[in-house]
Amino acid sequence: MTGTYTRRGFIGLSAAAVAAGLAACTGGGTAPAPAGQGGTSAPASNNLRVFTYEDTTTIDLFKEQIAKFDAQAGTTTTVDNLPGSGAAVYPDKLRTELLGGRGPDVWRIWGGQIGAPFVTAKQALDLTPYYQKFGWDSKINTDAIGGMTFEGVKAGVPFIARGIGAWYNQALFEKAGISGEPASYAELEEANEKLLAAGTTPLATGGKYGWHIMRLYEYLLETSAGPELHDKLLKGEESWDRPEVVTAFTNFKKWQDKKWIPEGALGLDPSDIEPEYVQGKTAYTITGQWTEVQAIQAAKKDSADFGVFQLPTDHTPLRYSGFVEGYMINARSGNPDKSAELIDFIVQPDTQKALKVTSSTVAGAEPDPKELPLSYEWSQGPAKQPFYTIQDQAFPKKVADQYFSIQSDLLQGKITPEEAAKQMQDAVSAWAKG
Amino acid sequence: MGTATLEAPAVDAAVARRRRRKYGGIHAWLFALPALAVYLIFLVYPALSSLWFSFTDWDGLSPTYNVVGLENYINMPKDPVVIQALINNIIWTVITIVFPVVIGLALAILLNGKVRGKPVLRLIFYTPAVLPLVAIASIWGWLYNPDYGAINSFLRLIGLGSLAQPWLGQDSTALAAVMVPAIWLRVGFPMLLYLAALQGISQDMYEAATVDGATKSQQFWHITMPSLRPAHYIVLALSLIDSFKVFDLIYAMTYGGPGTATQVMGTWMYFNVFQYYQAGYGTAIAVVITIIAIAVSIPYVRSQTKEHAV
Repeated sequence: MTGTYTRRGFIGLSAAAVAAGLAACTGGGTAPAPAGQGGTSAPASNNLRVFTYEDTTTIDLFKEQIAKFDAQAGTTTTVDNLPGSGAAVYPDKLRTELLGGRGPDVWRIWGGQIGAPFVTAKQALDLTPYYQKFGWDSKINTDAIGGMTFEGVKAGVPFIARGIGAWYNQALFEKAGISGEPASYAELEEANEKLLAAGTTPLATGGKYGWHIMRLYEYLLETSAGPELHDKLLKGEESWDRPEVVTAFTNFKKWQDKKWIPEGALGLDPSDIEPEYVQGKTAYTITGQWTEVQAIQAAKKDSADFGVFQLPTDHTPLRYSGFVEGYMINARSGNPDKSAELIDFIVQPDTQKALKVTSSTVAGAEPDPKELPLSYEWSQGPAKQPFYTIQDQAFPKKVADQYFSIQSDLLQGKITPEEAAKQMQDAVSAWAKG
Repeated sequence: MGTATLEAPAVDAAVARRRRRKYGGIHAWLFALPALAVYLIFLVYPALSSLWFSFTDWDGLSPTYNVVGLENYINMPKDPVVIQALINNIIWTVITIVFPVVIGLALAILLNGKVRGKPVLRLIFYTPAVLPLVAIASIWGWLYNPDYGAINSFLRLIGLGSLAQPWLGQDSTALAAVMVPAIWLRVGFPMLLYLAALQGISQDMYEAATVDGATKSQQFWHITMPSLRPAHYIVLALSLIDSFKVFDLIYAMTYGGPGTATQVMGTWMYFNVFQYYQAGYGTAIAVVITIIAIAVSIPYVRSQTKEHAV
């Protein structure tokens, strides 16, 4: 654990701290971190380690590209993968690695409040010099770079800008007599009724971990509040204790009461429930382009049997929920230059295509319309629209969990929509005040 | 005086001999040194380390932190989730001790008698205890699926569809639903210990009691149960500690939810340390868990000390 303390010194300090704490119940000042901190002066190593969360369907592609990089850069790169863990688990593993040892040289991470703590804690390197060296500013989508810039520090290189939409099973829509994709919220509700009447649960969503069912609520909030107010709510600039939020909570409960979501959705695991639209058990799910590779094609299904549409909000601009993912470099990496070189290799259009990245931030790396027709369709349509920050990246994890807890209480009938709005205001205002 | 000075070295030597006899002398410590070193490095040091961080506001990642004294401990009673987690811990501890111990004892008595296929039955009853907890969590998660899970499907099949529930998806049933697999997997351990203890009871006592006209029930309460006293201590003490530090099943099956309905001290500590970047507060929770576990172990330790003293 310690980098600068000896064990004896630490124990002595512990005893002193306990004594001081017990005596005064207060304290102050700072102390060196328990983990080994600060840059190492060891010679640059050509052994790199990358930590990522590629799906089982894409990890081999990733390793192939890493091998290609190693061949040209003279490095030996190890890839550690934690597939399917999601934002609820992966950052914990990363943090443990960083505290338990030197950690990976390069890691993949989400933007917003998920990536922010690694920058605040100075575990991630400021990449500004490498942005200049490799010209990433001109190659990568500016909005996406903003998603990995933390209080002015460019600490990540985004390679993915994901958008969330409704991915559906065409056969089930046809069976229910739905002729076109819903163009308004009223039409979406109408489609739900038709699907239910045809014996199909409309929306596949699961509340275990909170973030999956949250996608429904944030859509309902965008619909009731509109873009401007929604953004202010996410930043804590407007009170959540207001009619628009109450409307969104009322509709949220309605989706459950009308059985538009699966029975007992709160306890369902997203990884179990989400692919059900591909299996034909539910009609659609709210997810991103990765589902084409990971759910549709992984199940050996034809993309032509499925469709994707942007959830209608009845507002202009028609926005969708989005987030970025990218790479960070360890502030204690043995070779930050090679690490940056590796990232630059990954964000090359050819590499992005080889990796089958369906929502790349890099110009010229759009998905192949023959291989990934639905992802291509999204990239040419909704992806060009503005998006709002997905709510589990907009809030720190603790606030997000409070928010999930409120959703849970509401769906179980323990609180009313009005009470939910008040509780949300309490949670968000406490965070916004710092 | 002269006598005293002549006798003093002899007295000192006798005292030293007694001490060596009692504490084993330097050689005993040398033999213990490797284990002691491992114990100090991997248990005592991390424990002290956690204690130290519990008096700080360390976020678990940053290079700096402030000493905040007892603030984390003072804040704990104000945290509604801590209160809920503590209550859940108590419920969990009582249920997951009483049921496995009673069922384990019953199975041990059954298997200690004349039953066909005893080795196979022992294996069947003990198998859940050796399965990985994450696998158990997944299996039971599917069994509980409200739509196509085996439990609700069975209830519907036998005409009790009205009893079908979203077991893990509502506060009212989630904790109980996680306790069922906990009981299922923990029956094997007390069963094995009791079985071993039962086999150590002399049959002569039962034969004598039978001759004296004691019923089976009287034999159970007056011979079997008193003879199992050492086993009771071990089973109860280990089960108590095991139950109080529950983490994995809850984490894997419900993630502490819905909402915070199934949070226990262990998971809430984890959430604070690893997810909320409140390592100081989280380690304070860990310290409280440890203190409670030590406190509940005291009767066991005292009983063991008394027995050894005798």
